[in-house]
Amino acid sequence: MLPEVLDRASDSMIEMGDAELLERMLAGDETAFTALYRARHAAVYRFALQMTGSVVIAEDVTQEVFIALIEHGRRFDPARGTLASFLYGIARNMVRRRMEKDREVEAIGEFAAEDDVLGDLTRQETIGQVRRAVLSLPGMYREAVVLCDLQDLSYDEAAVALDCPVGTVRSRLNRGRAMLARKLRCGAIAGGVL
Amino acid sequence: MRGDRRGCVVKAEQDIIAALRALAGADSAVEASPELEARVRQAFRARQARRKWNRAATWMLAAAAVLIAVLLIRQPHPRPAVVARDPAPAAVADESTTIPVHIAAPVKQRHARSRPPREIVTEFFPLIDAPPPMDRGEVFRVSVTAAAMRTVGLPVAEDRLSDRVQADVLVSEEGLATAIRFVKQE
Repeated sequence: MLPEVLDRASDSMIEMGDAELLERMLAGDETAFTALYRARHAAVYRFALQMTGSVVIAEDVTQEVFIALIEHGRRFDPARGTLASFLYGIARNMVRRRMEKDREVEAIGEFAAEDDVLGDLTRQETIGQVRRAVLSLPGMYREAVVLCDLQDLSYDEAAVALDCPVGTVRSRLNRGRAMLARKLRCGAIAGGVL
Repeated sequence: MRGDRRGCVVKAEQDIIAALRALAGADSAVEASPELEARVRQAFRARQARRKWNRAATWMLAAAAVLIAVLLIRQPHPRPAVVARDPAPAAVADESTTIPVHIAAPVKQRHARSRPPREIVTEFFPLIDAPPPMDRGEVFRVSVTAAAMRTVGLPVAEDRLSDRVQADVLVSEEGLATAIRFVKQE
């Protein structure tokens, strides 16, 4: 009975802003925490999944991000950026730590497209090839591509999450896209451009 | 020629953005398992319980600290041993019930709160035949039975003989206990 009441209350709270939900959560309101989790967890999960390609790691990272929010939510400063950027920043650190720990996740190695995948984006396997190409990017370029192109963050938000200037985000994104273009053109990959 | 190349670059960038959009679209419905929500909610509850306990423990500690402070303020502080530099030898000539006493001079303290209790001490009673030089030696604060007071001729009721009393023993430079005085703290 109680979980259902909590669920309904959490759903009704999703309309509230992040700042208000966070304030209530820090005051001990579980329904506010649940609402915040429901509103933000999918993006954090997708970011971790797109960064690592591992469902297990993505779940672990998402859990750790929200536990970090419970423990250190007071460190969030709205003057520095949005709560989403704050959560991405935590997730990024968790992903990095996890990848340093599990080197094999990083060792996806060179990706070579089988066909010219850019010419055919409808097939499921093609999307799989794009995913693998993203995963094969070096970490700093992958972060920029995942945040800006896959998570649709603005340059400013990505800069807060990555803790770097906006110009750095732009240059990493351009470089990441260029790498992807070469990886996904089979001729270029065969020629060993990257 | 250059225009063609630039056109190719733009086309490649548009293609890659389209490819990434396709990937983002394919992932748009992906989310963590429902079990994860249950786990983080559980973690939240555990954290709240810990916080409540910490808050209660802090209050209890604060209350205990206040109580201890109050007790310490009310309780008389033991006074450190006074080094005897009494030049006057003890006079036990008159073994009457009047005990020669003098009040130890109050020592200046920095804070009124930490002022030690006042002490009333008897004169020094010699423990050896020859009167000892009272201006030399060291004084040690000891706890003895009240029966020791009788040995120097002070009156003690029978039922109080085993009570503990404090005394200052004067020890000569040779290491001999040469005199004793008894201390009462107010």
